[in-house]
Amino acid sequence: MEKIGKQVHLGFRRALRIAMQGIRIRFGRSLVTISGVVLGIAFLMSNLTGQIIQKAVASERDQRQTATLMLTMVQSEVGAIAGKPIAVIVNGKLSPVEEKLLLLLAPAKLQRDTAAGAALLLVLGDAREAPASLAALTAAMSQRVVLDAVRDRRYMPGAADVRREVFFGEELEQQEKELREKAIQQSFRTRWIIVVSLLVTVIGVSNALLMSVTERFREIGTMKCLGALSQFIRMLFLIESSVLGMAGSLIGTLIGGLLSFVVYGASYQFGLVMESMPFGLWIVSGLASVVAGTLLSVLAAIYPATFAARMVPASALRSTV
Amino acid sequence: MTQEQEALFAGEGSTEKAGFVIRAVDVRKVYRMGESETHALRGASLDVHRGEYLSIMGPSGSGKTTFFNMIGGLDKPTSGKVYIDQVDIAQLDPFELAWLRCRKVGYVFQTFNLIQVMTCLENVMLPMAFAGLDDEEAREKAIGILERVGLKERALHKPAEMSGGQQQRVAIARSLANSPDIILADEPTGNLDLKTGEEIINLFDRLRKELGVTIISATHDLKMLRASDRIVWIEDGRITRVSTPEEMNIAVSEVH
Ligand SMILES: Nc1ncnc2c1ncn2[C@@H]1O[C@H](COP(=O)(O)OP(=O)(O)O)[C@@H](O)[C@H]1O
Ligand SMILES: [Mg+2]
Repeated sequence: MEKIGKQVHLGFRRALRIAMQGIRIRFGRSLVTISGVVLGIAFLMSNLTGQIIQKAVASERDQRQTATLMLTMVQSEVGAIAGKPIAVIVNGKLSPVEEKLLLLLAPAKLQRDTAAGAALLLVLGDAREAPASLAALTAAMSQRVVLDAVRDRRYMPGAADVRREVFFGEELEQQEKELREKAIQQSFRTRWIIVVSLLVTVIGVSNALLMSVTERFREIGTMKCLGALSQFIRMLFLIESSVLGMAGSLIGTLIGGLLSFVVYGASYQFGLVMESMPFGLWIVSGLASVVAGTLLSVLAAIYPATFAARMVPASALRSTV
Repeated sequence: MTQEQEALFAGEGSTEKAGFVIRAVDVRKVYRMGESETHALRGASLDVHRGEYLSIMGPSGSGKTTFFNMIGGLDKPTSGKVYIDQVDIAQLDPFELAWLRCRKVGYVFQTFNLIQVMTCLENVMLPMAFAGLDDEEAREKAIGILERVGLKERALHKPAEMSGGQQQRVAIARSLANSPDIILADEPTGNLDLKTGEEIINLFDRLRKELGVTIISATHDLKMLRASDRIVWIEDGRITRVSTPEEMNIAVSEVH
């Protein structure tokens, strides 16, 4: 009599090969399984894209508005700016608004290294220390009007012979506070939408995988009769779901992302969208939704795969789905 | 029960218990579904000799499949014991049970149960893979077995491309993959026409003679009994009679 031995678990590679063969040959069925993932992830990605575009466009608009406001202040000092000599010191890093202001000021005669004959001196940038050239520049000015972008820059009051000093800063701070409040409201909405679309994804994905497992109970029962261990069956389905999940998530991300980009681009202006779109963030959220879709697929498959793997072969064989 | 009948129940050589490849002792199975209970087996005992061809006969719903699942290690009885090669299979852990299903027993089903996405050859190779054989070895062995059942030239076809009889032959080849001691066939001809069914019976008969494998086959078709050594009658979850084909002939001729 031969002693009963212990069955050895077949490795990952064998399971991978069998899973891939199954996916390939059941191609049509695999597409149906994938479609749940595609739909869920496309929904998620289109929402993410929508959020990104809306936010970007909104902040682009706000910046443009602020820059226009600053331009108005400049105009109130010097009148029409076309051809007017205006001196600019860039002291530190320019904010996006300041960059836009410089664009708006393009019709004026901007001079960087001398204030001689200038109607106005603009101090831009975020640095707190006095620019080295300030005294020399203001000395050469005929009217000595200085506009400063940072409100509590300490050095300004010390510049004694400045005739008038105006702070953009106050305006900017006010604007910033409004934006921050708006952002908080928006980020609440964003999170809500992401949670909802993740839920939709989870339901789509798990339903698809549940079906693809239950309709193969008999096959699972057969494999167990042939000597498959529960571990092997579970591995088989987890591999299958992660492969299908990744493929579905990739397709879903592309469809959702591009579609949403086109729709939002058309409803705002493409120019505005293209200019304000943070493409890096867009790509990152695309990657995130592929990863999320793949993970969700595996998570959703754990329960049915484990259930199927643990089934008594007799009952797996009996099922007629 | 007369002594003669008891001897038949136990098989001819009842003194040498080591000769029994399967022993079922008072096996009962109750299926519970909510409130209702189905007593699928009400105390079935049977000893199976090594190398015999045993037919299990009974109407649909009498408990044949349930009995198969019990003696094949595919399900656990509610009470009673099943020994395969003197091992009480209730004592086995999942790894040992899988080992047993993989090498000791070959299963053949009424619905063939081939893996549809695999070719015939891959179907036959699958149990070998589970047994740890490498591909080269498995392929060679599988082709040999397919040749034995007369399907070598169909090795690369998918099950769906073949007739029922051919599919069942592939399933039989698969059941032979790891040279089991026992083949359990649950109504193997149930989905086949008369002539094809007969071919399957002849194949079993030949395999038993060539390989010395024990064959246990359930059926509700009287014509299947000719090749068997013993016939076990099962009715409403109980084994009511064990007879030989010769007795059967008498019984049939008496009716006429
Ligand atoms: N998994 C199960 N759950 C509930 N009842 C079952 C189950 N399997 C079998 N039965 C019942 O047990 C009885 C015997 O069934 P079965 O063994 O399949 O008979 P046979 O194979 O002889 O047709 C039937 O009444 C059947 O309905
Ligand atoms: Mg049956």
